[in-house]
Amino acid sequence: MKSPIVKTAGRALTPFVLLYGAYVTLFGVLSPGGGFPGGVIMASGVILILVSHDSEKIKSLVENIEWFDTFGAFAFLLVGLGGLFLSGAYFANLWPRSPVMLILLDIVVSLKVFAGTVALFVYFFKQEVEPSSTE
Amino acid sequence: MKASGLQKNILTMALLLIIAVLLINGLRLEHEDKRESSLHEYYLETYEDAGSVNLVETILLNYRAYDTFGEVMVLYIAVAGILILGEEEKEGEKR
Repeated sequence: MKSPIVKTAGRALTPFVLLYGAYVTLFGVLSPGGGFPGGVIMASGVILILVSHDSEKIKSLVENIEWFDTFGAFAFLLVGLGGLFLSGAYFANLWPRSPVMLILLDIVVSLKVFAGTVALFVYFFKQEVEPSSTE
Repeated sequence: MKASGLQKNILTMALLLIIAVLLINGLRLEHEDKRESSLHEYYLETYEDAGSVNLVETILLNYRAYDTFGEVMVLYIAVAGILILGEEEKEGEKR
């Protein structure tokens, strides 16, 4: 799994995969896409690096990414409550004419899906590298 | 109850047939209700207010943001559940 080919391919591909994921998320308002698929595409970019490289730095980088997962979920709630407090209706559209709310929710959702998927992968990857003590 | 291979097949066929009939009826009724419902007209008339071109995204995040919130929560609970269930060996030697 750690052959130089996979390493260089991973290093070469990941920025483009992350860029494409960000594009799908941010352009979810105009073209098909949006928070969920964008987040997963970005997660696949990071997983590509996680699989091909074994350096501790990357591991430490993604070590406690599940907090972003929590933060994303609560940010979505805050946006909903913000609508409730600012203009009366839960999840109200605060800027009626402009897609600001949509892009905001898109970004929050993609952050959450990204962090959740990477956290899941880190957990399963850790299982595979050092199986839990129970076995 | 030692059912021979043939009986098992017949049983599963009958079961699948019943499920198929129920599903088709359900879909057929679902289709008829759709024609009268004016919800999609409402979406088409007022989706300019949300200011986005992509109607699917508008519905997903604007008209039905509450459902998407539920979806986000389901995903969050799933991830949190797996991570919590898998926590025990961390306590063991790592910390």
